[in-house]
Amino acid sequence: MDNFDYEELGLKCGLEIHQQLDTETKLFCRCPSTLQGTRTPDFTTKRYMRPVLGEMGTFDKAMLTEYKKGKTIIYEGYNDVICTYELDDTPPFSCNDEARNIALQIALLLNANIIEEMHVSRKNYLDGSVPCGFQRTMILGTDGYIQLNNDKKVRIDILSLEEEAARRIKTENKTNYYRLDRLGIPLVEVTTKPDINTPEECRECAERIGLLLWITNVKKVLGSIRQDINVSIKSGTRIEIKGVQKLSWIPLLINQEISRQLHLVEIREELKKRKINEDNLPQEPVDLTNILAKSKSKFISNGIKSGKKVYGFNFKGFKDIFGKELMENYRFGTEVSSKVKVISGLKGIIHSDEKLENYNFSKDDVKNVKDKLDSKEGDCFVLILGSVKELNKASDIIIDRIELAFKGVPPETRKALENGTTEFLRELHGGARLYPDTDSQAIMNTDEEIKKIQNNLPNYPWEIIENYAIKYNIEESSVKELIFEGKLTLFESLIEIYPKKPSIVINTLLNKAKAIKREGKEIENVTDEDYKKIFLELKNKKIGKEAIDDIMRLKADSPNLTIEQSIEKLNLESLSLEDLKSLIGEVINKNLNLVIEREMKSMSPLMGEVMKEVRGKIDGQIVSNELKKQLTNKLKEMK
Amino acid sequence: MENKLKGYKGKSINFLKKKSIEIWDIVQITTDRTLLEGILMPRSEYSAPDFIEIKLENNYNVGINVSEIKNIKKIGKREAHYKFPEKEFPYNKNVPKVQMLGTGGTVASRLDYTTGAVIPSFTPSELYSSVPELAEICNLDCEIVFEILSENMKSEYWQKLAEKILQAIESGFNGVIIGHGTDTMSFTSAALSFMLKDLSIPVVLTGSQRSSDRPSSDAALNLINAAVVATSDIAEVVVTMLGSPSHDYGLIHRGTLVRKMHSSVRNTFRTIDDIPIGMVKDRKIKTFYDNYRKRSTTETTINTNFEKKVALVYFYPGMEKDIVDFYIDKGYKGIVFAGTGLGHVSTDIYDSIERAIQDNITLLMTTQTIHGFVGMNVYSTGRELQDLGVIPGRNLLPEVGYIKLGWVLGQTKDPKEIKNLLMSNIAGEFIEREIPIAFNYNIDELLRNNKL
Repeated sequence: MDNFDYEELGLKCGLEIHQQLDTETKLFCRCPSTLQGTRTPDFTTKRYMRPVLGEMGTFDKAMLTEYKKGKTIIYEGYNDVICTYELDDTPPFSCNDEARNIALQIALLLNANIIEEMHVSRKNYLDGSVPCGFQRTMILGTDGYIQLNNDKKVRIDILSLEEEAARRIKTENKTNYYRLDRLGIPLVEVTTKPDINTPEECRECAERIGLLLWITNVKKVLGSIRQDINVSIKSGTRIEIKGVQKLSWIPLLINQEISRQLHLVEIREELKKRKINEDNLPQEPVDLTNILAKSKSKFISNGIKSGKKVYGFNFKGFKDIFGKELMENYRFGTEVSSKVKVISGLKGIIHSDEKLENYNFSKDDVKNVKDKLDSKEGDCFVLILGSVKELNKASDIIIDRIELAFKGVPPETRKALENGTTEFLRELHGGARLYPDTDSQAIMNTDEEIKKIQNNLPNYPWEIIENYAIKYNIEESSVKELIFEGKLTLFESLIEIYPKKPSIVINTLLNKAKAIKREGKEIENVTDEDYKKIFLELKNKKIGKEAIDDIMRLKADSPNLTIEQSIEKLNLESLSLEDLKSLIGEVINKNLNLVIEREMKSMSPLMGEVMKEVRGKIDGQIVSNELKKQLTNKLKEMK
Repeated sequence: MENKLKGYKGKSINFLKKKSIEIWDIVQITTDRTLLEGILMPRSEYSAPDFIEIKLENNYNVGINVSEIKNIKKIGKREAHYKFPEKEFPYNKNVPKVQMLGTGGTVASRLDYTTGAVIPSFTPSELYSSVPELAEICNLDCEIVFEILSENMKSEYWQKLAEKILQAIESGFNGVIIGHGTDTMSFTSAALSFMLKDLSIPVVLTGSQRSSDRPSSDAALNLINAAVVATSDIAEVVVTMLGSPSHDYGLIHRGTLVRKMHSSVRNTFRTIDDIPIGMVKDRKIKTFYDNYRKRSTTETTINTNFEKKVALVYFYPGMEKDIVDFYIDKGYKGIVFAGTGLGHVSTDIYDSIERAIQDNITLLMTTQTIHGFVGMNVYSTGRELQDLGVIPGRNLLPEVGYIKLGWVLGQTKDPKEIKNLLMSNIAGEFIEREIPIAFNYNIDELLRNNKL
């Protein structure tokens, strides 16, 4: 599957990257811009969203699909960190300058043309993720580019500054629950042109944009950056894949999507070859409830007993179409059923390209169904089970999706799944949902502001990576990791405190922190200030580098302790050189036989013994030097 | 030409004129840094003078400083091809007939996506397209009586509305809905309450706090709730708007006891000095009291005379008597004071008050605390003011005091009769007794505890 000739396929990819900015307050209100985690909300507010007519006097299809889901929306909020603005009960306040300045810096790093007078637009969303039903967004930059390693420039179409949506908590009984703490956190969206031509190039481009964003003042935690990919091939169409959580998923997702599109095109051609057209499709489902009431399939007969009904369709000439694999473990049948599930909530469809024995249908069951549906060899029948309301909705969706099979690849937004495949999320939004915000005035980016930011731009991350690797004699991959862990600035301050051995700093920030996290400890409790203290103590030889892990572990468990208290508690009070000297003298005298026998080679076992006593209390290097000195003296003495 | 460059001024208008470019032209703009293409948009007249505003292909609007433009080229024009969906409001013989009167609020409006302007939408078919549920409740007939911003409302418009309501009753409508801007909705509800006598059907004012061009608008639910109240047995002038921040239930407020209490929240309307008449939820009405006027076949009459020379004066410490003198000199016939606490103004303006009384000007006292009665027998100031001839307005809201005095002075010039009318309960504006929860009732909580 991975041996596609991307050039021949005409692969074009574009990226949309969303990144939260690390500001004190939100974009259009002065609520703190911090998530509240699992804290219990103080209040809830119930709302419904209705579609609004678009520019042409019609409803946007994606909005109607959302409205048909018939969802109630419950917003959960906190009295101390949520205001009436987030509840769409007060008009917006002024645009956050801190956010605008960070966005300007990013735009300039991306070589973009800055829009001097910004106008706020509204982008409609009906799923409830924004209480007012639209996201406030504005273009801040256009026409930039990002350079790849091979010097190719991927053009940046636009950079916009916008509001983060609310946090989805759960969906229960047709009700979407959203938490308002995330709503309104400033966000930049970077959109590239479809200049990317291979899956690997797409991964690299996403990585470069990510690195660039993470050297600026953005939120550097899980979920603060999100990637969407647009994928199209010549014979297919543009598909938007949302929610790509890891860079490493990108190549796989693109290859799977190419496969899906190619196979959907094959289905279109196959249907043409079989001379089937849309007019042959069933218009209405057939009620099979009576026929299957006594079915051997417990799944069906129990369902009917509980009041559900069974509807069936016969698709003439469709044999082997539903069973056709589009991506790994994903057949055309999956394509239909996942769309049905997302829109109507009905789970699972049964089709005759499947092994019907798996459902325990008897031969009679199958025969009865086929007779009733007039299903012949070469046809494919489809069964669905559910309440009448669900079935009616599902029937429309099934017929609708089959009709689209005659056209090839329907344009839509899909959600990335961990296994590299995708599922239907919603129809592709039309342009009609973007219109001017009547609640706010134009926002200016003045020349002076732009110049000031331009004159203080940081170096590009790939330059930083190269420079630091040479300067500190560390791996390039380590520097990259520091950026993606959000620890580059911390590294810079630690290296200033402790310039002697950068590898110790790297090891502490990356490997040790990760290892302790893996032990299930709350490594986040070790703050930047704690790290600085630790390295200061190390510099002052108050502790040895061997003590760092233990201090981090203790601090992770007891966040209220200071570093000084931790050291005390661990009994790490440093050893004076005098004490060390006399300790080493004792150890040598205790092991005189060993010394006589192995001479300088006794150094290593003796070192082990001394370290057992002094680990963490004094730098190992000092111990080693002192031991060597005394050992040499002793040997001289004995000779 | 001016109109074709709406909102442009300073450098930008000269620039566009020179280049013969008008609004809605598609233009290509070259600057030092970039090439932009889009439609030239009309501009707010309060925005910066040296910029032109275009809508890019991706529908975002941006402003470009004309001094940065190296070249601008017209490459086309955007044709306006906006159309409303044609959907006829279906007739249903099983549901009542309701007359909807439009005044220009945002309750029924839609959006011009190009300009972002909110256009009122008001034909039955437009309303049906956006709120199809209405057809299940009533047969709706719509009429735009006038189209004004609610702050531009005045007595002529109240008179016009009262006449339209009478016509609707005479034509056999079962109820009236008035779409109204929320800012002055309670002035209109009070005015209609006084102007309509022996009302036989419900007259329901409603609107929206979030305009109907946004998916989260409260307009649809308020309209549906208003339609339910308009077909109910509550034959009063009422305001029906959401009762909580949730899209859950609407409250039914008496037209003379209601006030907009918040500049922006959805549940901004509250009944003052009492609890509301009832609520409407899931198309059902629950009344909290049985003290409302019932639907009947009595003949409704109107009395729309209104004295315009009435002022509402908000007292503040340090107010000088010139303020009162001004109204006297300008020939005003009545002044309503929003006094402090129990109904006081400073002794510094007594002279002018005395002068006003001598000039036969009616002075009515209300309280700026909004809640509660004036109590002008408690302190000497109150007693002195009464002695001077100021009439205590009991629990009247200052705005309702203004409407009542205007209406009363429209009925009679006789001082005794004026006082008589002012002291009688004409349209439910007076409460007999203030129930203890009236001040800070919380409907959500009362419902939760089954206290309603």
